[in-house]
Amino acid sequence: MVEREEKEMLGFLGVDEVDELFEDIPDQVRTELDIPEGLTEREATAKVKKKLKKNKDPDELSSFLGAGVYEHFVPAAVDEIIGQSEFYTSYTPYQAEISQGMLQALFEYQSIIAELTGLGAVNTSMYDQPTALAEAVLMSARIKRKGHKFLIPENTHWENDPVLKNYLRGQDIEIEKVDFDEKGQVDKEDLKEKMDQDVLGFYIATPNVFGVLEEDVSVFKDLKEDEDSVLVVGTNPLVLSLMKPPGDWGADIVVGDSQPFGIPQAYGGPTVGMFACGERYIRKMPGRIIGETEDSQGKRAYCMTLQTREQHIRRERATSNICTNQALMALASASFVFLKGSEGLEKVAKENYEKAHELAEKMNGLDGFEAPHFESEFFNEFTVKTSMDPQDLYERCKKEDFLPGVPLDDRFSSLSDVLLTAVTEMKTEEEIDGLVDTLKEVKG
Amino acid sequence: MSSDYRQARYEEELLMEDGVEREVEENPLPENIARERAPKIPDLPKHEVVRYFNRLSHMNYGIDTGLYPLGSCTMKYNPKYTEKLASLPEATSPHPYQPEEFSQGTLEIMWELQRQLAELGGMHSVSLQPAAGAHGEITGLMIAHQYHENNDDDRNEVIMPDTAHGTNPASVSMMGYNLVEIPSEDGCVDMEALEEAVGDNTAAFMITNPNTLGLFETDACEMAEVVHDAGGLLYYDGANLNAIMGKTTPGKMNFDIMHFNLHKTFSTPHGGGGPGSGPIGVTEELASYLPVPTVEKDDEGYRLNYDLENSIGRVKGFYGNWLVLLKAYGYITKEGRDGLERATERAVLNSNYLRKKLEPHLDLPYKSLRKHEFVLSGKKLKDKGLKTKDLAKRLLDYGYHAPTIYFPQLVDEALMIEPTETETKETLDGFAEAFASIMAEDEETIKDAPKNTAVRRVDETKAIRDSTLSYMMRD
Repeated sequence: MVEREEKEMLGFLGVDEVDELFEDIPDQVRTELDIPEGLTEREATAKVKKKLKKNKDPDELSSFLGAGVYEHFVPAAVDEIIGQSEFYTSYTPYQAEISQGMLQALFEYQSIIAELTGLGAVNTSMYDQPTALAEAVLMSARIKRKGHKFLIPENTHWENDPVLKNYLRGQDIEIEKVDFDEKGQVDKEDLKEKMDQDVLGFYIATPNVFGVLEEDVSVFKDLKEDEDSVLVVGTNPLVLSLMKPPGDWGADIVVGDSQPFGIPQAYGGPTVGMFACGERYIRKMPGRIIGETEDSQGKRAYCMTLQTREQHIRRERATSNICTNQALMALASASFVFLKGSEGLEKVAKENYEKAHELAEKMNGLDGFEAPHFESEFFNEFTVKTSMDPQDLYERCKKEDFLPGVPLDDRFSSLSDVLLTAVTEMKTEEEIDGLVDTLKEVKG
Repeated sequence: MSSDYRQARYEEELLMEDGVEREVEENPLPENIARERAPKIPDLPKHEVVRYFNRLSHMNYGIDTGLYPLGSCTMKYNPKYTEKLASLPEATSPHPYQPEEFSQGTLEIMWELQRQLAELGGMHSVSLQPAAGAHGEITGLMIAHQYHENNDDDRNEVIMPDTAHGTNPASVSMMGYNLVEIPSEDGCVDMEALEEAVGDNTAAFMITNPNTLGLFETDACEMAEVVHDAGGLLYYDGANLNAIMGKTTPGKMNFDIMHFNLHKTFSTPHGGGGPGSGPIGVTEELASYLPVPTVEKDDEGYRLNYDLENSIGRVKGFYGNWLVLLKAYGYITKEGRDGLERATERAVLNSNYLRKKLEPHLDLPYKSLRKHEFVLSGKKLKDKGLKTKDLAKRLLDYGYHAPTIYFPQLVDEALMIEPTETETKETLDGFAEAFASIMAEDEETIKDAPKNTAVRRVDETKAIRDSTLSYMMRD
């Protein structure tokens, strides 16, 4: 059938062979592909499945790894919702009238993030947390025209730095680092010292890469106002059902990753870069934004808005080059939040808090362990100091199918004997006690 | 489809409207950072949430609904087996920092995909890290930047033709480069203009081939020579790769850096805006500049390699959009050499067939043989007091997604049409008939469109004026 149809089409074009349609490609650049012949769907599926089976069986592993990606429960309904083919097989909603479903769903996502962060203007996503932070630094320079420095504390994720370095190539912005104090929080004295007229803005992560929460946030608002600079706050959306919204304590821009909301760990991607800012900065924002409006009959409707900021209209004067983002993951996060509800979210957040504190306490009771290493409040992740070599400890736990946390020795020279351990609602009492027992055995 | 098409039309209030004021009780956090008021998010029965999103999905149009001929977006059918594979727990569960020995399946697939893409692009090495096409572009420019810096070469200009995708100039500006845009001649790069534009300041030349008019740039090798002679690098925007698989490669055309759009050419779904994936490929000379980590194979298996001499470092967290990579790997593995070349052939056949079917109705600027897409001009519509936008909206009433409109900018009232290989002749004939039928309609009907969609013509000006970007911002 295909052959007959193609013959008709070629006939309509007045050509005999399909290759005649490629006669504009010069012979000198012609080439053939050196990859294997195709397979049937059955064969291809079997082949890929067989490879995937070489990954560790997740049911046989008890992981306490976090550091930016967390193991949370994803209700089956989330997969059903993002699996609706009208959602996942659609393109960016350029034609609003025929794309109301996705537009409204993304507006719900923006509304959820606004409610959690306390900042009204939200985009439909950046790629992930580090790229959201990089865009926030670039936006800070658009907000505050003067100044060349942006301050980043040392207690933020190690993968931020190389991403920032690349995004700031060719910009007249320099990153200056700020120390952390003995509690793992930003060293306020060092921050104060480095704040001056040349500072465009500064970043505060809470929880930070040690899981530590900043305990006195009022100081940041004062500092920001003194130097008229931009305050960018990085956070975890799950903690925001318990923690004061950063918008209420001075944040101009909030970034983070919505991965804890309905998105699997998936080897680190796709996740969804969260980006919210104060309403007065909307024209300086990067990325796609959905706005509320009406149709010609006065019925409520949604569409992409403020598009003159974007690359497809503004080209070299756009606020960012981003086009494809992580929209379907934003939909996953929105559906997760509605399935949980306000009370459900709070319950999960408290469960994370309680289980993490339970494990920290149990670890701290073991000989040769100190948990948390930084004596600050934390959410679902904390540092553990060990009298053993952390790599050795890690290897020995691994043999028992426990991953006790991410060793920080590669990342922070002053933390050569520290692990970063995360505990979510997924960890059962058996797993928590199992890890404690394993540590006890390993320590000997 | 026909003008009988009817999209679902429900009255759906935002769920966020149902949130209620409530205090957080027994908050474990210290008082001065503890939230007092709970976020105003509704507590609803699960099945009501499922029904709500289900109804919203009925007010959305995807490639599974019908033809989606958005030019430069390559909206082809997204196979279901790859979706299934990407939902297996072995695929979704791995933590990015778990030991490499626990992630051998993932790493093996990533390594093989690196090799497959290198072959498809005629490149030496590939990084899977960039999350989207524009992200790949800017990664490529970072590599060019580092390369010139290592050569103590202070080049500050990037050249591109006026047909370039909007992301190209935006990426150039973000990297602090000056943009040099050269005019096209007969829809292709004007070699004289290029020769005039290149010089000691040329860091790179960016182009897509076939270009956004769907025309193959036959002078590609000459361009490479001109740019290389001036000491610049050539960047290939891979958005249009679906037009050349098995016929030629950017490597063969002497490009140095390129990106792939896995969510276009390799059939991973676009998800209403993303996630996509934009791996980049480079020549042997630039291999050591790729972002880290890349995936390497040695005697003990597969591992993440952070040790690349000139690496630019990172462009995002972790290793790329793994689940998207997995789907593209499944697609390439199933299609194979023969399937991919067939895809290109049929995409180009469909494009030219539809082009000839539509030519009687609107003008086709520039020569006629096109690759995977073509661009019509709607300037004729102006005689009737209509715009391309009106035609696009009326197509929605017939149950078709509209083409890309008003791009490329050098075509007046442009309609950019890319049918892809997964459409039948019958679908294309139906689209052409709808087109013909609309051209015979009176202006009022067209201006009044759409009327068969979930909402009527959306007031975009009001959206800008009100700038209501969340429920919180509603007055």
